[in-house]
Amino acid sequence: MPNKTGKVLLIDDNDIDLKINSKVIKLSNFFEEIIICQSGKEGIEYITKNLDTPELLPDFILLDIQMPEMDGFEFLEIYKNFPRTFLDNCKLAILSSTLDFGDIKKAEANPLVIKLLKKPLYPNELQELLNKHSTLLGI
Amino acid sequence: MNNPTVRVLYIDDEENNLQAFRASFRRQYEIYTAISAAEGLKILQNIDIHVILADQKMPNTTGVEFFKSIVDTIPDPIRILLTGYTDIEALADAINHGDIYRYITKPWNDLELHNSIKNAYDAYKAKIDLRNKITELEKTNDELNRFIYSISHELRAPLVSVIGIINLVKMEGLYDSSGEYWGLIETCSNKLDYYIQKTLQYYKNTKDIPDHSEIDFNKLVGELVDLHGFSDKETSFNVNINQTTKFVGDAFRIEVILSNLISNAIKYQKTNELNKTVNIEIDVNDFEARVNINDNGLGILKEHLEKIFMQFFKSKMHHGSGLGLFIVKEALTKINGTINVSSNIEDGTTFKITIPNAK
Repeated sequence: MPNKTGKVLLIDDNDIDLKINSKVIKLSNFFEEIIICQSGKEGIEYITKNLDTPELLPDFILLDIQMPEMDGFEFLEIYKNFPRTFLDNCKLAILSSTLDFGDIKKAEANPLVIKLLKKPLYPNELQELLNKHSTLLGI
Repeated sequence: MNNPTVRVLYIDDEENNLQAFRASFRRQYEIYTAISAAEGLKILQNIDIHVILADQKMPNTTGVEFFKSIVDTIPDPIRILLTGYTDIEALADAINHGDIYRYITKPWNDLELHNSIKNAYDAYKAKIDLRNKITELEKTNDELNRFIYSISHELRAPLVSVIGIINLVKMEGLYDSSGEYWGLIETCSNKLDYYIQKTLQYYKNTKDIPDHSEIDFNKLVGELVDLHGFSDKETSFNVNINQTTKFVGDAFRIEVILSNLISNAIKYQKTNELNKTVNIEIDVNDFEARVNINDNGLGILKEHLEKIFMQFFKSKMHHGSGLGLFIVKEALTKINGTINVSSNIEDGTTFKITIPNAK
């Protein structure tokens, strides 16, 4: 089990899913801190605001696809322009209930996305992913 | 009877012909006349003409040259060529390049010309109706696509939240706290999710044109075994994949086919079997992939073997949707694959499929 030192950022417009996923993460003890953003825009703002205070930045991001205004892919278009120092230290996975093949292909093709996790979030799937990337995550 | 207004344009360099035409047909049609191709074009640009008649022999631009010049810009009106003599070359040219509907010799016979214009108008109408129908169908199709997309998101998202909550209930040790209620909610939710997924698979299979992407069977089968084995820890898998050559095929359909067969192999096990086993063998060569999926499960009754690929066929004992194998068969048909099944109650079931390699 990874040490719980990292920060995870959840980006999802759905309150219930945010509640469920943060509870799953809390119960599994994967991260020390959970940051919650209810839109892609809020997520971008959070990161932008804290670029100079790396201790507040997330080590891992779980991003929903289907969101109003800025969807997951639009978020990624802005996200990829963040400085490398940040991007190299933060891993991002998509967490979505989508079954749309186009969405899935698009997610897999994006070099910034380490995996497309399907909702509901299962602790062991997340753990496996975190183990695989634990060195990269520095946690 | 309320006849539709048929707008006819007649182009001829002889004013007499134009007048004669007007005199003969002004009661039947809305007539426009032009003394040259250039003038005719001006009328066509301003008025929605249904049928164009043009004389072949005109100075500057001949009838055929005129028709050729408007093939792309004004494609809709139906064209009739009038000529005083039979010039086989002009005729061939007109048919091959001018999109001519009919050819009439001068002097014309009023009845023949009238019938030709009438038929030409019918052809015009059929063409326009067809185009409107196509636009309408495209719109419906587009709406259907958006509807399906929204099913895959909007309808499924809350259901997935429910399943997420049930998982939390399990993690917090509350699953048995309300008698069997949580278990029942879980069963219903999973069933609903299964139906949504199958419906989408079926729909996508009937609609999408086959795509060609490179397929790594080791990776694909590995993922599918992980996915399905997750819900059933008792079954052991023997996976034997021999792929040394590149395989190109329809990623979505191949995944749907293998996924349904693997899920079936797991689902229809004997409850009292101690060594529940699923064997998956895949051989890939330059021409095809041969897949064998075998289980030591319940087997399929001989009288059912014929029917298992039919939509909504389900055996009485088991709670399938009656869609799984139907979708497998449909998907294989779309990509020119084949499927064979052999089964008996003692030794279980073997599905043999072949999928052509499109590399």
